[in-house]
Amino acid sequence: MKPPNFLYARPDTLEDALRLLSEHGTGAKLLAGGQSLVPMLNLRMAEPKLLIDMNRVAELSGIERENGKLRIGALTRHRALETSREAAQAEPMIARAAREIGHLAIRNRGTIGGSIAHADPSAEWPLLAVALDARVELRSTARTRTVAAREFFTGPFTTAAGADEILTAVEFPCAPQQSGFGFQELCRRPGDFAIVAAAGRVRMRDGRCIGATLAIGGADATPRHIAEIDRIVAGSRGEDAVVREAAAAAARVLDPSGDIHASAEYRRKMAAVLVTRALREAFASVAANS
Amino acid sequence: MDRPGTTAKFVGARVRRVEDPRLLTGRATFVDDVRMPNALALAFVRSPYAHARIVSIETEAARSAPGVRAVLTSPEVEKLIPPLRMEHRSSFPAPPCRSVEWPVLARGKARFVGEAVVAVVAADRALAEDGAAAVEIEWEELEPAVDPERARESGAPLVHEEWPDNVFQKVEFAAGDIEAAFSGADLVVSERFRTGRHMALPMEGRGIVASFDPASGMLTVWASTQMPHVLRAEIARVLGCAENSVRVIATDVGGGFGLKSHVFPEELLAAALARELGRPVEWIEDRREHLIASQHAKDQIVRGELAVARDGTILGLRAHITCDIGAYTEYPWRTFEANVTAMAMPGPYKIPAYAYTTVSVATNKCSIGAYRGVGQPIGVFVMERLIDIAAGRLGIDRVAMRLDNMIPRHEHPYTTITGDQIESGSHRECLQKAVAMMADDRPLQASGAVRRGVGFASYIEMTAPSAMVWQTLGPPGSGSEPAMVRMETDGSVTVALGTNSQGQSHETVFAQVAADVLGLDPANVRVIQGDTAATPRGWFAGGSRVAVVSGGAVIRAAQKVRDKILRAASRMTELPAAELDIRGGAICRASDGAPLAELRDIAEAVWIGRAGLPTEEDQSLEFIARYEPPPMTHSNACHAAEVEVDMDTGIVKVVRYAVVEDCGTILNPMIVDGQIQGGVAQGVGSALYEEVVYDENGQILTGTLMDYMPPTAPDVPRVEIAHIETPSPFTVGGIKGMGEGGAIAPPAAIANAVADALRDLSPRVTQIPLTPERVLAIIEGKSR
Amino acid sequence: MSTPGFHQRIRFSINGRIVEREVPVRQTLADFIRDALGLTATRLGCEHGVCGACTVIVDGASVRACLMLAVQADGAEVRTVEGLAQDDELSPLQKAFLDHHALQCGFCTSGFLMTATDLAAHGAGSNETEIREALSGNLCRCTGYANLVDAIAAVLKEQAAKRE
Repeated sequence: MKPPNFLYARPDTLEDALRLLSEHGTGAKLLAGGQSLVPMLNLRMAEPKLLIDMNRVAELSGIERENGKLRIGALTRHRALETSREAAQAEPMIARAAREIGHLAIRNRGTIGGSIAHADPSAEWPLLAVALDARVELRSTARTRTVAAREFFTGPFTTAAGADEILTAVEFPCAPQQSGFGFQELCRRPGDFAIVAAAGRVRMRDGRCIGATLAIGGADATPRHIAEIDRIVAGSRGEDAVVREAAAAAARVLDPSGDIHASAEYRRKMAAVLVTRALREAFASVAANS
Repeated sequence: MDRPGTTAKFVGARVRRVEDPRLLTGRATFVDDVRMPNALALAFVRSPYAHARIVSIETEAARSAPGVRAVLTSPEVEKLIPPLRMEHRSSFPAPPCRSVEWPVLARGKARFVGEAVVAVVAADRALAEDGAAAVEIEWEELEPAVDPERARESGAPLVHEEWPDNVFQKVEFAAGDIEAAFSGADLVVSERFRTGRHMALPMEGRGIVASFDPASGMLTVWASTQMPHVLRAEIARVLGCAENSVRVIATDVGGGFGLKSHVFPEELLAAALARELGRPVEWIEDRREHLIASQHAKDQIVRGELAVARDGTILGLRAHITCDIGAYTEYPWRTFEANVTAMAMPGPYKIPAYAYTTVSVATNKCSIGAYRGVGQPIGVFVMERLIDIAAGRLGIDRVAMRLDNMIPRHEHPYTTITGDQIESGSHRECLQKAVAMMADDRPLQASGAVRRGVGFASYIEMTAPSAMVWQTLGPPGSGSEPAMVRMETDGSVTVALGTNSQGQSHETVFAQVAADVLGLDPANVRVIQGDTAATPRGWFAGGSRVAVVSGGAVIRAAQKVRDKILRAASRMTELPAAELDIRGGAICRASDGAPLAELRDIAEAVWIGRAGLPTEEDQSLEFIARYEPPPMTHSNACHAAEVEVDMDTGIVKVVRYAVVEDCGTILNPMIVDGQIQGGVAQGVGSALYEEVVYDENGQILTGTLMDYMPPTAPDVPRVEIAHIETPSPFTVGGIKGMGEGGAIAPPAAIANAVADALRDLSPRVTQIPLTPERVLAIIEGKSR
Repeated sequence: MSTPGFHQRIRFSINGRIVEREVPVRQTLADFIRDALGLTATRLGCEHGVCGACTVIVDGASVRACLMLAVQADGAEVRTVEGLAQDDELSPLQKAFLDHHALQCGFCTSGFLMTATDLAAHGAGSNETEIREALSGNLCRCTGYANLVDAIAAVLKEQAAKRE
């Protein structure tokens, strides 16, 4: 199990990386944390002509809070997000999600940008980005653009990024006041990719929900934001009947597929269970915070 | 270290392991750590299809790839070594089994995904894989035989075309009046059980480094194996050279659990190529090869039926076992998986009538072979589930039903319905103690979102089989092992074993054993193993036999050394030998421990012929003894599991686990407990997590460790362990084997606990692993 | 930035020693450590980032050496099991592994030692649940983990006591 031959380049600047990418086109692959790409190289399931190692592009790391947004450089490691005070203050669900990713050694190396670009439908960052309506920043030699995470993921392991584009940052909205979150994963063993995961946030005023967002991972081709749930939950006090209705909506809307870890039917059922749990957790955490 | 006159005993003590310092500092030598200058690496092109004809193989590009030294297909390889062939030996008392040829590289067609088709030898492994990637094979897909029950029906695609059907072996057994037992029963419980295809999955895969010296004609092989001496004989046989020109070395082996008690085509090919190419050849299996093409295990469908009287008395037992063997039978043992299941099923219970049929079926899958416990975990799973189901239907206590049917202590030695003689045991005591350990004040929750349940499973572990038992099962096995014990001129002791360790701490344990016989500190005993040039010819580490068999041999050989030393000391001290003892490394007066002579002085005197021993006697302190225990040795135990079942998701968590076991004389409790904890972890894997999955086309879906899921640290409970010590009246030292036991009962105990948690739902807990999805189906009443 | 190539010269420190070599860029750090440097304590258990046997410390953090290319270690500080014992004196973790019978075959041991080294360096607590979670990326097939957990907990506890 040894990687095939490839060329390797290690640019120090984004500009150099973009130039290499535009020169080599689809034959090039970007190497960030390598926690998904290197296994595929070792298994010879990926055979790029050129590997562009992004790890020395310093400008891609870092966490900044500005104008109610948290901007996270693509090369920021999971472990940094798990332990960042700044991130935790801006959006506590970030640390929570980071903790669920793989194992310590994976989190020490893997990056948020790599994970989002990889677009595994059951991974944590894509789910969180969709749940929180984050925006993804893409750069090419020609332009910089941002795309809503909810539009960025187009299918399992496929995204709206062009072959000449590099994902450079993710921008999360900061958590609003008087709100609570729920983050739930169903794994057979800790650190496994979730069979199904749910992440959501509810905003409350005077005991009523004035805004909600919820997304499900692992139960469709991409992490799915379920707008119907936002509508069902808004205006409620998080009553059992509302949560049940939201869960039923998830099961109705999702189109999961089966694999050896779980059938489509099981994923659909578990999506409903996890929506229930995530919403209960979210409502309870607002109550606990206020 | 030795202190003259002290009488410390080391057997039974928690002596720390002498193996550890080298393993902890990275100085161990696993096969991949052997560095041979100029070595070539071997890699394989493997079949992507379960069943497919090879139309053509294009190797030109591979031959001219950088660094590639040789590319071989079946015709070239068969010039070097013949296919592995497992003959039925009519002189054995074993049931017939169809012989099958296992070609080293697929010949004509491939019979499972992962079967080796082309071998590529190159300067390093990466280059060999480059070469392998350049090979082009044209395939014609054939319909595969995948489901074992359908595969045995007529008209199924034939795995081996020269046969009329896909049945390797069918065995029928009946004893007692089975018809009367079932017709007279108040209740007959009948269920169909399915056990997953599992894997031993040692952390170190298979591997071999072979080096041929043309000057001496000696082939030296480093291998990751549980049986250096058998591997040596097999290499010599297929290469057509004398056994004495092959040396097998297995210094450190990274786990085996049965998988490495086989000889594999890849190993033999590497040895052949080293001789053919005149350069060292290494094959270090990667994890993908391991998962798809080494050896799987278990995989059985059992129809089990228990006939019981109203009071819970077991009247009869019936079983029909279908075992999915895969494409070939394990080499060089043929197959005995299903028959071990059948033998294990009666367990510690008195069964007046028993009938079983086992059918071992060929399918287009990787072969199955020995993995910790072989068929025993399945037999115990079926039996213990049947008892719980019967007790539930009769409305009697499941523990009471077990106690009432168990062989009581005073009836040992007890001959079972299958003719097995159980020499001693503590079946009731183990169960009662386990019940007491699990007792607590918390109510068992039988409602709500998370339910708790407790399950028990009792078993007898069959250990240290004799030659007769092996040969009755089929393998050309021996039941004995040798040990060489030598006291050097300085009084230190060397022990050489015919077996080798894959983590079972033999270097520590047998130093303890020899030290006690010789009155030394174990620090003065060095144990040599795993080198056919430095050890007496032995057989293998497996069947939980080493403690019993090598242990008995060490004791016997050490006693010979001791007797001679004392005779020599008697001459030199002019005291009768019976009044002498060796204590703390010195010759002492037995009555009061007063030191009389240095051991080294006596030892040297013997070696240089000045101890006054008769001149016709060998002037040495070196003895080889062999030991073959009685037909079979039996440990017994009871496992108890407490689980939580998440009613929404079907996720099962083992929250408590207790083991009460009886392996007779305990050599080192630290190591025994380590074996139990480790065995239970593997059993938890079998019960809840692990399963090799093939799709309906015979494509394997568990080719990475992201898909085949052994339990990790948070998934395995801390095992609470208690011991009862009932030494064997038949073995040297009263030792019984115990290496496999930990893995035998967890599927049964955990399945019973899940059923207990769900008891008001009439749950049908009949299949392992109990994946969340399967458990949810049970909860929803949709199980099958 | 150098031009893309199949080989590259790297210089990094391993267990305090500076090494400078030309490496094939496709070679993983694990293979480089084992094959080029002959430091075989770092073991290959799966080569796809699941088993943790090849865990080493790179710039103070535990990583899987099979998921890093050797060329990526250029300029880094790498520690392996060979760097734990000082003058043949076992480190506290190694000694705890021995005392608690935390290994059987020993093949996974290096990975557990290096993961535990990361935990110890970052002041992890000795809570059993947390230790088990932290070890969940390392597979052991022999021990059933209990003694590993105990050995590491003992070291973390002692360390915490010293800090106070």
